[in-house]
Amino acid sequence: MIKYTLKRLLQSVVTLVVLVLIIFLMMRLMPEEGYFGEGYIRMDRVQIEAALTQMGLRDPILAQFYKYISGILHGDFGTSITFREKVPIAEIIKPRLPYSIYFGLASIIISLLIGIPMGIMMAQFKGRAPDMLGSGYVVLVKAVAPAVCYIFLQLYLSSLLKLPMLFNVRKPASWILPLLCMSIGNIANYAMWMRRYMVDELNRDYIKLAMAKGMSSTSIMTRHVLRNAFVPMAQLLPTSILLTITGSIYVESLFSIPGMGGLLVLAIQRQDNPLVQALVLIFSSVGIIGLFAGDVLMAIADPRIKTEYSGGSR
Amino acid sequence: MVNLNYGGREKILSVEDLVVKFNLRGKVLTAVRGISMELYSGESMVIVGESGSGKSVFTKTFMGMLDLNGWIDSGRIIYKGSDLAKYKTEREWLKIRGREIAMVFQDPMTSLNPLKTVGRQISETVELHRAARGTSARKISLDILSDVGISNPEKRYDQYPHELSGGMRQRVVIAIALVCNPQVLICDEPTTALDVTIQAQILQLLHSLQDKYSLTIIYITHDLGVVANVADRIAVMYAGDIVECGLCDEIFYNPQHPYTWALLSSLPQLGVRGEPLFAIKGTPPNLHVEIKGDAFAPRNPYAMEIDFIKRPPYFEVSPTHKARTWLLDPRAPRVTPPPSIVRSQERWKEMRRNA
Repeated sequence: MIKYTLKRLLQSVVTLVVLVLIIFLMMRLMPEEGYFGEGYIRMDRVQIEAALTQMGLRDPILAQFYKYISGILHGDFGTSITFREKVPIAEIIKPRLPYSIYFGLASIIISLLIGIPMGIMMAQFKGRAPDMLGSGYVVLVKAVAPAVCYIFLQLYLSSLLKLPMLFNVRKPASWILPLLCMSIGNIANYAMWMRRYMVDELNRDYIKLAMAKGMSSTSIMTRHVLRNAFVPMAQLLPTSILLTITGSIYVESLFSIPGMGGLLVLAIQRQDNPLVQALVLIFSSVGIIGLFAGDVLMAIADPRIKTEYSGGSR
Repeated sequence: MVNLNYGGREKILSVEDLVVKFNLRGKVLTAVRGISMELYSGESMVIVGESGSGKSVFTKTFMGMLDLNGWIDSGRIIYKGSDLAKYKTEREWLKIRGREIAMVFQDPMTSLNPLKTVGRQISETVELHRAARGTSARKISLDILSDVGISNPEKRYDQYPHELSGGMRQRVVIAIALVCNPQVLICDEPTTALDVTIQAQILQLLHSLQDKYSLTIIYITHDLGVVANVADRIAVMYAGDIVECGLCDEIFYNPQHPYTWALLSSLPQLGVRGEPLFAIKGTPPNLHVEIKGDAFAPRNPYAMEIDFIKRPPYFEVSPTHKARTWLLDPRAPRVTPPPSIVRSQERWKEMRRNA
C-alpha cells in the first residue's frame, strides 16, 4: 500500500514538473506583442526592447527558467503586467482563492449528496418510473451544452424564484443559482455512474451465490453491492474535480463571482501572460492532486490493486 | 458402481409435472415441459443434457432462483411436506436457501466477491444460519476450510479470492455451500470451468464430503464422462424434459431412448478408432412453439409416425429405469441401435448373467 502510494506520488510529481515546463515554454514561444496590451502598436522598437529586457525576457532561457522555478517555489508568480500593473500575482489571487474553494467544495458535496442516492434509487427501480425520470435528467443535462444550460437557469430561475441574478457576498440567496449551475453536471455524472456500477454488480455471479447461501436481498444490497459499486466510483473523484474547475471558469464569470475562474477569463482577455500562466498552473495542479487522490482511494477500496504492486501472491 | 437399494431410501424431494415458462421479449418460452422426478436421500443424481435443455432452470426452481422473467406455470415441488412451487416471498425462500438446499456454481472465478476476504465470505454464511458470531464463526469457517482440503486455512482465511487458484476458489465455494449443513447440494457444472487435472479432484472431494455431511447431491453437467464415477443415478434431459432416467449402469450399458443412444455414441471413449466421431444432426427444437409428440423426433433416425403426433409416456424398463420413447411400446418394431450401443447392451447382458 505504501509502495503503491509512493509510486503514484512520484508519478504525480513528474507530471507536475512536465506541466510547469510546458507552461513555461508555451509562454516563451508566444509572439512578443502578447506581453503588451493595446499600447503595443504605439510603441517603437527601442521601447519594446527596453520593456522586454526589463521583464527579464531577454535573459538566457535557462536563467529565465531558473528564475521562474525558484519564484514558484517561494510562492512568487511574478507581477501582473496588464490586469493590475506591477502588482504581485499572488496578491491578486489571494482574495479570490476562498470563493473558488468554497464554491468548488460546496458543489462537489452537494453533487455527491444528491447524485449517489439518486443513482442507487435508479438501480433499485431499474426500468421503472424513478429510473426513467433519472435517466431523463441525465440525458438532458449531458445533451444540452453547459453554457446554454447555465444561461437558462440564470434567466428563468432568477425571475421565477425571485433569486438574485448576480453574486453578492452580502446576500446568501445569491449563492443558490451559481451552486446549482456548478452541480447539475456532477449530479448527472454521479447518478449515471452509480446506477451503472450498481446494475453491473447486481448481475455478477457472486450475487447469485450470496442469494443461494440464504442472504436476504437487503443484506446483499448493503454488504455486497453497495461496497463494490463504490470502488469504481472512487475513480470518478478526479473527473468531478476537473469538471468543477472547468465549470467554475464559466459559472464564475457568468454570475460575476470574484473567484479564480472568472479571473482566468479576464486575464486572457487582457493578455496578462504571467497571470494566465499562474492560474493555469494552479488549476492543473488541482487536477493532478485529484487524480492522485482518486488512485489512492481506489487502492484503499480494492485489495486487488495493492497485490498487483506488492508482486502478488498465489 | 454398487446397485443401490432404492426401495429402502427415503424420498427427500419430489417434483411432479413441473412446467417452467419464461417471457422473452414478449414471447413465451417453455423451458421445462412437465418434468417429474424423485430425489432419494443420500444419493448422487446426475442431470445431463445439452446447452439449453433446461437442466439449470429446472434445479433453480428448487431454490426460487429463477430469473425475474421466469415463473413456475404448473406442477409441484414437494420438499419435506411443503410445496416449494407455491413459495412466493423471499421470507419463505430464506428458510430453504442455504440451510436446506445449497448450490455450487459453475465458475469459481466469478462466484466469490472479489473485495471480501475468503474467510469473511464463509463466516458471513455461518452468521446467517447459525447462532455463532465473531470468533466462533471464524472457528467454524476454519474447520470447513480444512474439510474442503485447503491447507493452511488460517492464512487463506484472510486472503482475497484473487490470491487463490481456480481449484482453491471452487473449494471455497463448496465450503460456503456446506457450512450451513444443507440436506441437498446442487452442483451446477461444478468442474466445467476448471482444468482437467483439477476436475477429478473436485469431484472426488464432493464425493468424500457426501458421507461426512450426509448430503444428497444433484450434479448438472453436459459431460457424461466426467461424472460417470460419482453418479448413482442419471437423468437425461432433452428440450426441457427428462427423456430417460435410471441407475448409472442402466444408462451407460442399457440405454433405451434414441437421444441417449446418440449422446453416448458421441462420447469419444465409446467411438471406434479410425471412424469419424458420431455427432447428432440438426438442432434442438424451438421452445417458443408448442412441441408435439417426441421433441427429439425431427433429429431421430429411428423416429416413427407416432413420434410426431403423440408424446410418449414413460415406459418402465426396470423398477429403477424408465424412458420416454415409443420404441419401448410392445407394438413398436424392433430396431437395431447404433453399433457402439449394441456392444454396450451385450456387455450389460453379460454383466446381468454374472451377477
